[in-house]
Amino acid sequence: MLTGEGLREIETTRAQEDSSRHALLTALRVVQRERRKVGPEEIVYIAGLLGLSPAIVEGVARFYDQITDTPTGLHVVRVCRGITCYLRQSERIADDLKGFLGIKDGDTSPDGKFSVRLVECIGDCDHAPAGMVDDRFVGPLDEQALHTIREI
Amino acid sequence: MPDFLTRHIKDPGQRKLATAVQKGAYEGLRRALTMSRQEVVAEIDASGLRGRGGAGFPTGRKWSFIHAREGQSVYLLCNADESEPGTFKDHYLMAFDPHLVLEGVAIGAYAIGAHQAYIYLRGEYASVAATLGEALSEATDAGILGPNCLGSDFDLRIALQLGAGAYICGEETGLIQSLEGKRAYPRVRPPFPAVHGFLREPTVVNNVETLASAARIMAEGAEAYTKLGTKQSAGTKLISVSGAVERPGIYEVEMGYPLMEFLAHEAGGIPLGRRLKGIIPGGTSVPILTADEAAPLTIDYESMQSAGTMLGSGGMIVFDEDTRMPHALLRIAEFYAHESCGECTPCREGTGWMAWVLRRLLAGEGRPGDLELLLRVGDNIEGRTICGLGDASVQPVRSFIQKFRPEFEALEPAGMDWPAWQIHGHGPRTGRFGPPVEEAARSQPVEGSPDYVL
Repeated sequence: MLTGEGLREIETTRAQEDSSRHALLTALRVVQRERRKVGPEEIVYIAGLLGLSPAIVEGVARFYDQITDTPTGLHVVRVCRGITCYLRQSERIADDLKGFLGIKDGDTSPDGKFSVRLVECIGDCDHAPAGMVDDRFVGPLDEQALHTIREI
Repeated sequence: MPDFLTRHIKDPGQRKLATAVQKGAYEGLRRALTMSRQEVVAEIDASGLRGRGGAGFPTGRKWSFIHAREGQSVYLLCNADESEPGTFKDHYLMAFDPHLVLEGVAIGAYAIGAHQAYIYLRGEYASVAATLGEALSEATDAGILGPNCLGSDFDLRIALQLGAGAYICGEETGLIQSLEGKRAYPRVRPPFPAVHGFLREPTVVNNVETLASAARIMAEGAEAYTKLGTKQSAGTKLISVSGAVERPGIYEVEMGYPLMEFLAHEAGGIPLGRRLKGIIPGGTSVPILTADEAAPLTIDYESMQSAGTMLGSGGMIVFDEDTRMPHALLRIAEFYAHESCGECTPCREGTGWMAWVLRRLLAGEGRPGDLELLLRVGDNIEGRTICGLGDASVQPVRSFIQKFRPEFEALEPAGMDWPAWQIHGHGPRTGRFGPPVEEAARSQPVEGSPDYVL
């Protein structure tokens, strides 16, 4: 289910720590990155990998915002709706961006390339309206930034 | 401006070990390792350093609470979750001067006798974690960190952990839970983390800026720090200013610096010549100040306290005269409703209620007494939850309504004859984000019909 790199990352974390439970957060992150979701199948897989009950894995997985049960697009675009960015129209920008990337229903484009998500403060308030593409900060989300995102 | 903490933050190559060491990185650690643990704690205590994450608890005192019994492991956790809206100082500190942060972690660990430290970063800071990780392996390879730090007999392992998107992980016991691979439900205190923390062992949780400051204090001596700032607020503070200012960004200011001078000079004033309407001085969890209230204040713990607010994380959000305060408050209330972890009922339900009542007021569907209802919901959250998120969610609601009341009253319809119970009684019943159902429930008093909508 995972690439060798992903598995190694989980195993390294697990080997360093006193309990395999500790590696759960890392495992969830790795699986989300590689499978773009942590659905029922992934939950059972992680549970087997770490020797935990699937119920525990699911309970933790559903707590965290960046772990999703439905697949995200290849690239996740986060538009900040923290108070500073909100006052700079970030919700409207998210709508524009969705239209621009051809997203009609939900938040993922039909070709599966992009997901656009409005998220709480991402800690880049001096670039309001702030945004991220995957792990990269791309704010302020002006017209140029929107073009850059589309070309990714 | 002072540059006690940020002296080299803009230097090119500061992320590289060689450059950083040339500029004096790890000198504080070197000095600390020649002292006893107690001496390091005493020095930090003497510096007057207080926690920079928001609560402002004296750092030296926090470290002195650690008394490990035989066979116990001690842990230092560096809180780099930084999720308080308007706060982005730790982001820059870690991204541009990672060695300063690592040095602070090492000093903190030495002072409390920890051989294992974790830096817990919010999930969005993956790129920052990569920078920190590179710096960490460089410093470990050079023998500065790791086994026998700087040739001493002190062993330290530092590990990085990324979160996955939950504000509550910035709460110290929430962070501990998350690090243990659990839902980040905060723990009841006592027992405090100093006794019963990560893996039930004695644990200290410090903010990034606090530890970085400790590194500089160990390098320069406590006296250099107390020379800066005021009596109760020693040293400097990183202010991350955003919103209606010309130059949003990070600024290091000496404690006691006048707030208005900071806004006008460092932050460049308010664009388009607009007037100041309000300032949230330390992240959305602290009460807002009106322009009049803010005018005489200085940037330090006691001045902010005298005005009924807090310096908090130093995440300053500026509102100009064009800001519609009810809209701003709704957004803030929605944040807490979204981020409430759900462990305690008053917060889980109350934060959703506050957002929902505000939403209906703004949709023109407000009811007489809605403002009182909002305040009362707040009263029923405050002091009734395990962690501070509940209390924090009430501060903006109460202070916005109190200080900008006419704007909120304009949304409230007057003269409608609502039954008293609906205004002052237990109010409409609803699921967390659902519509009100009391009308439906009253018109169809069917036995056993559900009284909530999910």
